[in-house]
Amino acid sequence: MTGLSVLAVDDVPPALADLCRLLAASPEIAEVAGAGDPLAALRMIQSGRYDAVFLDIAMPGLDGLELASLLARLTEPPVIVFVTAYEQHAVAAFGIGAVDYLLKPVRAERLADALARVNRMIPTARPAPESPALPDAMAALPVESGGRTRYIRRNEVHFVEAHGDYVRLHAVSGVHEVRMPISRLDEYWAPAGFVRVHRGFLVALDAVRELRSDSVGGLLAHTDLGDVPVSRRHARELRERLLSAAKAGQLDRR
Amino acid sequence: MAVSVLSMARHIAEELKDGLSGSGVRAAARGVRRLLAVEYVGLADLSGRPVWAPAAPAFSSDANALVEQVLHSESREGWSPLVAVPLHVHHELAGVLVVAGATHRAAVREASAWIVAALERGRLEASAEQAAQAELRALRAEISPHFVYNALTVIAALVSSEPDRSRELMLDFADYIRYSLARHGEYTTVADEFHAIETYLALQRAVLGERLQVQVRVAPEVLAVALPYLVLQPLVENAVRHGIEPRTRAGHVLVRGEAEGNDCVISVEDDGLGMDPALAEAILAGRGGTDSVGLANVDRRLRNVYGPWYGLVVETAAGEGTRVVVRIPRFQPGVMPG
Repeated sequence: MTGLSVLAVDDVPPALADLCRLLAASPEIAEVAGAGDPLAALRMIQSGRYDAVFLDIAMPGLDGLELASLLARLTEPPVIVFVTAYEQHAVAAFGIGAVDYLLKPVRAERLADALARVNRMIPTARPAPESPALPDAMAALPVESGGRTRYIRRNEVHFVEAHGDYVRLHAVSGVHEVRMPISRLDEYWAPAGFVRVHRGFLVALDAVRELRSDSVGGLLAHTDLGDVPVSRRHARELRERLLSAAKAGQLDRR
Repeated sequence: MAVSVLSMARHIAEELKDGLSGSGVRAAARGVRRLLAVEYVGLADLSGRPVWAPAAPAFSSDANALVEQVLHSESREGWSPLVAVPLHVHHELAGVLVVAGATHRAAVREASAWIVAALERGRLEASAEQAAQAELRALRAEISPHFVYNALTVIAALVSSEPDRSRELMLDFADYIRYSLARHGEYTTVADEFHAIETYLALQRAVLGERLQVQVRVAPEVLAVALPYLVLQPLVENAVRHGIEPRTRAGHVLVRGEAEGNDCVISVEDDGLGMDPALAEAILAGRGGTDSVGLANVDRRLRNVYGPWYGLVVETAAGEGTRVVVRIPRFQPGVMPG
């Protein structure tokens, strides 16, 4: 996969430097350029080719929203992400067609989410994920125990733990091992309400009884079958998924 | 007879609660006309144009001239059957009552006194409401300066020794300030309120170090519950300030949100000094001094929004720690995160 080429625009030099540094440190990105004012940005966009533009809103002369509406008229417009201190611009920003909206000061985890969205907007950036041939072939998984094969139903599983080449399914009936990489199970089970919360863990949203955070900022998803660690970079997604599930009334107890 | 007079008088007072320029003036004039058993009654505000019951009498131009006179002389003008009397609210001219028809002087005097009393009460209620709203606004803006300076001091101290950590704390600080200054809508969600608390506690943890042991637990099914902004932060701040800060050894704070039937129950618990239950009661009643205004305010705001049963509950005793419980309905009409 070839990396992204991005342009950051901000009229405050330290803010621009910080944003460029964060962008340069992101694995998805091959090239970062910075522009200190909107006109310079316009010139650079005309002469160069950028996949995405990270745009401050409050700038003298031409503000970020105006610049974005100009860019939208290009034949191949770059993907726009706004970076701003004020939340009240959000509605206008999405109206212009921005894919994301970051608040200053920017968190690295939040920037990673934005880059994932940018990537989804760029068709050539990566091949379309192969669609699972049989969507629900994985509603139950075969496990071997004592020379016999039995099936563990997905809705019986509270969480999944990676263990070498195996995954451990933590289910009401016990802990079962299946030979499969966790990333593959993640792909199959994500549509059924499982969320990757850690490099080595998947959890079923409706199995989460409590979110527990402690003094040092660690986060755990507590289930009836034990606590599941949630890594910092997955915390936001888990919270948002739980919130929208709660709003939709989808947290009926299993 | 007495009952119907009283209920008529009550209706007149009700219609006049928005003043002589309000929408209830015609209905009030109708009530006064029935009370006095006269042909016409007019009520004018300072513009000098009476609202009549029944509408538009033939003599209205004479009456208008009379009203103008009263607005200038500020005293009774005209003779039966057409008289106009000034209405003084809190010793200031607010309008004119016009009566057309045979009636006693004393009856007109009593009617005007009743109208003035109703107008004065309406004004008091309006200003009490304004005061309550101003109080809510003031409370929302409340950021503890003590905490802000402590946090900034710690961040400044870490800049050269632990730059990554100081950046992380600065981001938390930005989130804390952003949330505390949020101006959109009146209500937020339990999810956002808990997130704000976690941010606050991360900063407090940097200030207090190992002395502060925290656990925050929230059940997913209450995350979407709506509640007023900044209800929990004063409670957690209180727990840290009175439970942890005055002591030298470590203290624990446990914040918990869970569902109980149709209610969402949030508790903030510390194992600190605790207090005499009588003092806790005094604090909730707003008699605890400036240091504990936060709790009384949260209590008042909750009762305001959800009704008298939904105030704070404080469980405490000297030396036994403190547990403050907020109980709110999970679904409340009109309470939506904005």
